[in-house]
Amino acid sequence: MSPEATDFLYPFIEGDETDSEALLSDLARSAHAKWEQSTALRTETLERTEDQLRTVATAMAERFTAGGRLYAFGNGGSATDAEAVAQLYTRPPYGSPLPARSLAEDQAVLTALSNDIGFDVVFSRQLIAHGRPVDIAMGLSTSGNSENLLMAFGEAAKQGMLTVGLSGYDGGRMATDSRLEHCIVVRSDSVHRVQESQASVIHVLWAYVQEALSAAGFAAPGGASAPSSAATRV
Amino acid sequence: MSLTSSLPDAGLGVDGLTQDLARASLAMARRFHSGGTMWCVSPAWSFHAHHVAVEFVHPVIVGKRALASLTVPPGADVVATLRASVRPGDMVVALAPADDAQVTDAMRRGPAWGVETLWIGHGPRPAAGAADHVVWLDTEADLEASEKFVRIYHMLWELTHVCFEHPGLLKVEPECTDDVCITCSDEGRLAEVVTVDGDEAVVRTSEGIERIDVMLIATAGPGDLVLVHAGSAITNLSAD
Repeated sequence: MSPEATDFLYPFIEGDETDSEALLSDLARSAHAKWEQSTALRTETLERTEDQLRTVATAMAERFTAGGRLYAFGNGGSATDAEAVAQLYTRPPYGSPLPARSLAEDQAVLTALSNDIGFDVVFSRQLIAHGRPVDIAMGLSTSGNSENLLMAFGEAAKQGMLTVGLSGYDGGRMATDSRLEHCIVVRSDSVHRVQESQASVIHVLWAYVQEALSAAGFAAPGGASAPSSAATRV
Repeated sequence: MSLTSSLPDAGLGVDGLTQDLARASLAMARRFHSGGTMWCVSPAWSFHAHHVAVEFVHPVIVGKRALASLTVPPGADVVATLRASVRPGDMVVALAPADDAQVTDAMRRGPAWGVETLWIGHGPRPAAGAADHVVWLDTEADLEASEKFVRIYHMLWELTHVCFEHPGLLKVEPECTDDVCITCSDEGRLAEVVTVDGDEAVVRTSEGIERIDVMLIATAGPGDLVLVHAGSAITNLSAD
């Protein structure tokens, strides 16, 4: 039985529906469409931001070469992306392991700052404690409006750190905040699709950092050289 | 191929994946609907497990219901943690390659714990029947797989919530309509040994705790998986 275009006009009376095959076929079709949207957004994002990502990677490589450390932070799903960033830089599949840390990982610090001061300062206060001018602050957001990220960028900029933001929608406040030097925007208004393309941006930016370091002759202890095809497998 | 070219999406591969994902989503929706908790585990990529859990607990779309989802902590003994934590009716979602020994072991215990299992991974596929639901990417490339995992669990969340709009389909389908049913007759249910006391053992099955006879099998120890038929263990699956 093929679904008719007018089926949506006749919703099932609650609890009467019994044929799960029709639903399953709708679900699979919906997932397929979203998959293709995600692929298209990934392509559009990486093509549009190619030059920007190269510029940011070069600046990051300079910081790493000078002994800098990368601090990544975000809220919710973006906090898990910050964890992913820290893991990718410190324990890479190839190339040089680099010093990186997620500021969303330590529950003692997060809860202490939230409880004693407020959630707006959870990242900025950590940067006050850890940050040095040579370091890198990377904030991840989908809205671009998170107050705790903007405060962290303000603190990072004050210290002279390199500031890098990932945002979605039209970039939000992060796109216009002068304290944030580089804002990489995934242009979509779906939080999920934004995060999916941000995952790609994270991987490509990391690969470009490795390329920049490799071109500069940088070698960290424990690094393994990239397989010749590694970059294309990202 | 440059870094910025699109990820290769083999058409048929995506079709198969989205069909598997659809079935897994309906199964998870049914378990959530019945009060189950989703346990998320990813030994190598703990951030993925955290991401899955936060999707369900704190939905990005205002008004969608918060669902019970928790993670196995990074570095934890996966089987020991889940054994202590899961209740019958729960779900276990793993994001791991097929050669992850801890995940393999946890997934095979699913029927004894009464949990429904979903295994998301990439590279060589796990053996048939390794989990109730398998959503798999063929790629061997870790970073490509990691990106696509994000898509998979976002869609798992999205499709699960679509299922909630179909309450008639959330009732668990009746499995037993005949007098003799292969699914739930006592042909050979999976059980996990808790303690052994001579010729008897206390075991855990999807029904709860049971006392069975272990005279027919040579050895049995705590943690072993055995097949139970008519109140007796007939095979020790952990003994080979």
